Amino acid sequence: MSQSSVARRAPKPPSPWKPVKQSRKLSNPNAVVSLNGRWGYLFTAPFFVMFLIFGLAPIIYSVYIAFFNWDALGTQDFIGLDNFTALIADDRFWNAMVNTFDIWLMSTIPMLVLSIGLAAVLHNPYLRGSTFWRTILLVPNITSVLAIAIVFGQLFGRDFGIVNDIIGALGFQHIDFVQGTQSSHIAIASMIVWRWTGYNALIFLAAMLAVPGELYESASLDGATKWQQFRYVTLPSLRNTITFVLIVGTIGGLQVFAEPLILGGSYNGGDSGQFSTLTLFLFDQAFVAYKWGYAAAIGIMITLIVAIVSVINFYITRKLAGEKK
Amino acid sequence: MSRKWISTKTTAVITASLIAIGALGVISPAKATIDCTNASADGNGCTVLTVNTFGDVIEPALVSDYKKLHPEIKLSIKKSDLDALNGTALYTQCAAGGAGNPDIAAIEISYSGFWRAYPQCFTDLKTMHTTDGNKTANDIKGQYLPWRWDQGVGYNDSVIGIPTDVGGLQVAYRWDLFKKAGLPYQRDAVSAAWNTWPKFIDFGKKYMAKLTPAQKKANIGFLDNVGTIYAAILNQGTQKYYQNDGTDAGKLIYKSNKQVKLGFDTTIDAGKAGIGTRIGQFSSDWNVGMTKGTFAAMLAPAWMMDYIKGQAPDTSGKWDIANIPGGGGNQGGSQLSIPKGAKHKQEAWDFISWYLAPAQQLKVFQIYGLFPSTPSLYTNADLVGFKDPFFNNAPTGKIYASGVQKLKPIFEGKLERCIDMAMGSAISLVVNGKEKVPAKAFAKGLSDADKCK
Amino acid sequence: MGVGGYIALILTTFLSIFPFYWMFIVASNGTDEISKVPPTLLPGPRFFTVVSHVYEALPQFNQALLNSFYVGTAISVAQVFFSAIAGFAFAKLNFRGQKYMVLFVVLTMMLPSQLGIIPLFMLMGWAGLLNSLGALIIPALVTAFGVFWMRQVIDTQVPNELLEAASIDGAGVFRAYWNIVLPIIAQSSFVLGLFSFLASWNDFLWPLLVLNSPENFTAQVAVNQLKSSYAIDYALNMGGAFLSTLPLLILFIFVGRRLVRGVMDGAVKG
Repeated sequence: MSQSSVARRAPKPPSPWKPVKQSRKLSNPNAVVSLNGRWGYLFTAPFFVMFLIFGLAPIIYSVYIAFFNWDALGTQDFIGLDNFTALIADDRFWNAMVNTFDIWLMSTIPMLVLSIGLAAVLHNPYLRGSTFWRTILLVPNITSVLAIAIVFGQLFGRDFGIVNDIIGALGFQHIDFVQGTQSSHIAIASMIVWRWTGYNALIFLAAMLAVPGELYESASLDGATKWQQFRYVTLPSLRNTITFVLIVGTIGGLQVFAEPLILGGSYNGGDSGQFSTLTLFLFDQAFVAYKWGYAAAIGIMITLIVAIVSVINFYITRKLAGEKK
Repeated sequence: MSRKWISTKTTAVITASLIAIGALGVISPAKATIDCTNASADGNGCTVLTVNTFGDVIEPALVSDYKKLHPEIKLSIKKSDLDALNGTALYTQCAAGGAGNPDIAAIEISYSGFWRAYPQCFTDLKTMHTTDGNKTANDIKGQYLPWRWDQGVGYNDSVIGIPTDVGGLQVAYRWDLFKKAGLPYQRDAVSAAWNTWPKFIDFGKKYMAKLTPAQKKANIGFLDNVGTIYAAILNQGTQKYYQNDGTDAGKLIYKSNKQVKLGFDTTIDAGKAGIGTRIGQFSSDWNVGMTKGTFAAMLAPAWMMDYIKGQAPDTSGKWDIANIPGGGGNQGGSQLSIPKGAKHKQEAWDFISWYLAPAQQLKVFQIYGLFPSTPSLYTNADLVGFKDPFFNNAPTGKIYASGVQKLKPIFEGKLERCIDMAMGSAISLVVNGKEKVPAKAFAKGLSDADKCK
Repeated sequence: MGVGGYIALILTTFLSIFPFYWMFIVASNGTDEISKVPPTLLPGPRFFTVVSHVYEALPQFNQALLNSFYVGTAISVAQVFFSAIAGFAFAKLNFRGQKYMVLFVVLTMMLPSQLGIIPLFMLMGWAGLLNSLGALIIPALVTAFGVFWMRQVIDTQVPNELLEAASIDGAGVFRAYWNIVLPIIAQSSFVLGLFSFLASWNDFLWPLLVLNSPENFTAQVAVNQLKSSYAIDYALNMGGAFLSTLPLLILFIFVGRRLVRGVMDGAVKG
């Protein structure tokens, strides 16, 4: 049975087996009302208890110290909103924000396309050696950071890197992938795409495999080609997964940290901050300048930015996927 | 086959021996050799000293030596990245009141200015007394280079760390490439030819003039990175970013200190003269460049020699070491400290004072090539007579010894590292062509340094 | 299955594997391999020498691998378990305030983790968990990502009608969860478990911070012990990195077969 959104939104007719409940605004419109909702508290309790201790504590700490000039080893002075006003006036913050968004766009879009494409290829029941291909997908994710740093450092070297060898062979001048702004973003985006495409392909594959075979059968009986089946059966059923991958990808992407650190070797994100990202800037203020209040303010701003972008993402995806039907 | 596996006589002998040994053990409880190799916690007569260090500060051969002297001590060593240890771990531990502190922590000199400001995170080694000889930090102070010692002294004159090795700084160059360019190539001639920085830049220009256009296009150059000149010049002065005004914190003078401007200007001049290849040190291009002769000279601390040997073994014999312009320099080195939350302060102090004593530093030099910070060794025959065939039999011991002795103590403050990074970025902007007007870059460097406060 | 598909897969394989392969090349040829242009493409003879150096430098290397496996397994099992029931509650049960709970959970995913280092460290210190594997496991028992993932999976894959039918037949919530939901989401749970395991395996900053004794190191921290002060012995470090990745790869090959089986079952059930 398919989970069409239309069917879900329509109110269920009263079932002869169920006692008629007074209509009451439900916290969860998708809930199975015949199941006792009180269990929800018990089932979510372990998560929330652990979460309150380990997830909430840092948040409260951060929100608190953001209003201070906080030297964890020395003095702490209350300064109200000064950290926030200083941040808004800080070029480095806006520079980091622009870089972060640029890298995010450069990496997310290709990654989404590639991972769905890969999943589609792997979804094919006639594929030989599927275990092997699926295992390969995760190799980038388990490759150690040190190896990535060395390999990509060599790949993008200005004088002796392989990428520049190809560029030079094509007759162009070598690109400095560390010094340049867009070029450093390209290098970082390629690292991100490399590391996460296979991972997301697996997520999409798992979702694709949950789509019932009957849908494809009836579509092909109707004369749909493989491509049409993909477009009209597979993609819409992936809508939830795409939303999920996008939201998680946004949260992760806007907090990109490891790749710029690998490229630059330090927390400044390049000599002119050409690939400084928001979290890198945060870390720089936390563990180089040791301005914890300021770093906390940055963290709060990051949270707000990510929240806003995620919401926008969410609505756009819903709209687009809805049109696909 | 005899029935009895061991004859009665043998049994008797064995039994008697066992009794004798047992008796001996009771009568003279001699130091039975405890084996603490697998100890993971204190107990059974073993004490575990946790050591947080980076890289090669604590050398394996000496750990074995100490084990022979003190089998009841186990050194449990953890290596981190430099910034992870000195910048994150130590800070977090101190912020948590010393929770998780190791017994011994290594502090690199780029952080010495910072950690000086927080002596409350460490044990004042003036108050510690060694088990043998009752020595405190004051008693061993005289053994070390004065300016290296000062890097371990914090506010209130508390001694937070004892110096390990000293990086020193000289110039490693490819004498074969100099010769090919028709320039002086014997180390004394070279040292004389570039005894000041302007002369060094001229030397580089002459080298560059001899390169073919194709070579220049392939980014072949004289010096690997002109940015290294800045740090070298700053260390050759008497003041850096702070002035000693009698207070612990010192007074910030980076804006007005002529040495800072001199370092900046000289580096920019070198950049403008085009003598640098603009390759970042320790990048992959740099590693390759070393083997291919992309650059003919580099400012090299003592520990860099081993690196060159490992990276470019085929260039053996083609390198040499000459004196650095301006006289002396330093890159690298660390102090060993006992953080406040250490659980075995006495054992830690015993180890530190032993490990960093001249005798042990000599051994470290002989086996691992790290240069000692104890001047008494600079007249040691082994050190003085040491010649390195990879570097054309240069007497590296003598060369580096003379260099480190030329440096004077420089007052360091809390924002040292932050300001260094700000100025370094500013220099990079000009050298990499992103900022055409050096004065603007200098101003930017200073304003970024302002943000460190 | 067109040729195009296979070409795409081969290209993907090549791109995914080459850093890993490069690790092996450098480890088996020697440090100067790093600066060779053009690079050697075939493995060399020195691999086992390098391996012995790695074990010489790190006698507890095997223990570190075991620690990583132990921590990864504990974390992934716990995360799947807690995420599945919480995700089920959010997806299929109706209880007051849950919308805000979900939003709050998602919001906390958005706070950069770097900020949590100091408070979390203090917490662990106070709990006496510093320098133990517990400091790695306990803060990671639950994850907002896992709950979010499970909620979406259960929402998509478990039809309400099935659950209603079960409740009509007299099944309580827990029975419905156990007998109906779990089998359907088995394969997605497996994927979540895998991802949790990977995240824990790759975690570097936090373990490096809290673990002090070599006996407690995880694989990433252990490999980091091979670094020298300022420069890198590439052969040694790549050898260590390779050795720490290999068992995982082998595990994947075995897990991969199970993944296929689980996936086929899931597809049939769907």
